[in-house]
Amino acid sequence: MTTFFQFVVVGISTGSVFAIVGMSLVLVYRATGIVNFAQGVFAVLAGLLTYSFVQHMPLALAAVLATLVTALVATLVAVVAVGFRGRTTHLASLIITVGIAIFAEAVLLAAFGEVPRSYPAISDRAWDVGGVLIQPQYAVLALVALAAALLLTLFLRRTIVGQALVAAADSPRAAELIGLNLRSIAVIAFAVAGALTAVGGVLLAPTVPVSYSSGLTITINGFAAAVFGGLVSIRLALLGGFALGVLQQLVVGYVDSQYSLIIALLVMLVLIGWRSRGELAV
Amino acid sequence: MTLLALEDVVVRYGQAVAVDGVSLAVGSGERVALIGPNGAGKTSVLNAACGVIRPAAGRVEIDGRVLTHATPAAVVRRGISQVPEGRHVFATLPVEANLLLGAYGRVFRLEIVSSTLRYLRSKRDVREQLERVYELLPNLRELRERPAGRTSGGEQQMVAIGRALMARPRLLAIDELSLGLAPVLVQALAEFLVRLNEEEGVAILLVDQSAALAFSLCERAYVLETGRVVLDGASRDLEGRSEVRSAYLGRGPDDPA
Repeated sequence: MTTFFQFVVVGISTGSVFAIVGMSLVLVYRATGIVNFAQGVFAVLAGLLTYSFVQHMPLALAAVLATLVTALVATLVAVVAVGFRGRTTHLASLIITVGIAIFAEAVLLAAFGEVPRSYPAISDRAWDVGGVLIQPQYAVLALVALAAALLLTLFLRRTIVGQALVAAADSPRAAELIGLNLRSIAVIAFAVAGALTAVGGVLLAPTVPVSYSSGLTITINGFAAAVFGGLVSIRLALLGGFALGVLQQLVVGYVDSQYSLIIALLVMLVLIGWRSRGELAV
Repeated sequence: MTLLALEDVVVRYGQAVAVDGVSLAVGSGERVALIGPNGAGKTSVLNAACGVIRPAAGRVEIDGRVLTHATPAAVVRRGISQVPEGRHVFATLPVEANLLLGAYGRVFRLEIVSSTLRYLRSKRDVREQLERVYELLPNLRELRERPAGRTSGGEQQMVAIGRALMARPRLLAIDELSLGLAPVLVQALAEFLVRLNEEEGVAILLVDQSAALAFSLCERAYVLETGRVVLDGASRDLEGRSEVRSAYLGRGPDDPA
């Protein structure tokens, strides 16, 4: 039983990253109608940047700097993906983000090499709760995911900027007519989502080393979490991330680690099939 | 004084010419209609005026200033708001958020920080305007918490009009006021627009398939066919013309008006 709970604890920590990436995808999708397939790249970039920066400065500073740089890169991706007038079709934008993800892998490989990188966690001690070891890093990841869900929900519901993002997705045409600039909407959404995913990446790297090619796996898992909420629900993306993380750890623990990604894909496919059937019926 | 003027405006979609040299003018405080059959280019004319599409040729002037290639935001800031065809409310947002965003658009620019600061600075102003809109359209006050997508068609049209009014326009351009609405609702909305025009001095540019509505609501009208203005003048005069009567009012030339 202790082993089971140990898997659950680890699952929640990796699931937090899926949840964070999933919520980032939801934010971008809700504001722009684009599924950003380069989202996982931001987590990798932030992790690798932190690894590089930490050689020269304290960890906290390195983490903040990496997050800011990643958010900046995300705004560039936004401009490329939605076009200079914000008029690129959603399908074209989606394909552009796939292209960016592939391109980014090559750039990351050239810049950081192929070795998976890691750096010290917040603390190297662990709490022993009835035989289950809980690393402080796990707790921080889960707390960040929860806080992000809360803040994002408040942002979208209660602030005028957040409502402008939702409005742009609800009706791009009306948003334009009231004077909203669709490109700035996209830039804001990508930047906020990029920063959020970057925080996830920075916190992930100490527990799971990241390399240039980790982005795709992170994107897929995050996407599966987002699909759990139909790509529009922050709350369900959070739950989906946790559920997926735990499920994968149980598969790793009791079946075989090579099946963990397959499980994610399978869950995603079933959910998409189920959801789209519901939509067709409406 | 001319508020909005279009001169020889041409709109093309690829090879297709949707608007083929249209000139029209709306004075401040005027009520003007633009009528014509489906596909005559009415919506394209509005969109060209509002900066949503770029005219291939011609000029758009607001208060005598050339704004042919302005962004929709710039047009809104200059006092022209559009109520789009099919209403296009922000379905998942509450009615009140729909309205507030109408004011936000007026202050929103590329620089997110300064635009938000500007919005917050003018918050009292925005609240006042919100009160005005609630006074003008009292139904909306009761619906303020409800997601706009879950209101009726007539209510959505009110939300769309209220949202446009939040930007304090001097000219309200309305695309298909009557589309899909019950006649009694259309009548109420038409009366509201006349009141808005007479009491607040907001000019109206109405695009509608229903010529009867357009003539009863507006003093002047332009008749658009295949991208060109074929007739224009006082509604009274146009109403009496046999070609207009047979084509747009569904009456024979000899039937009584």
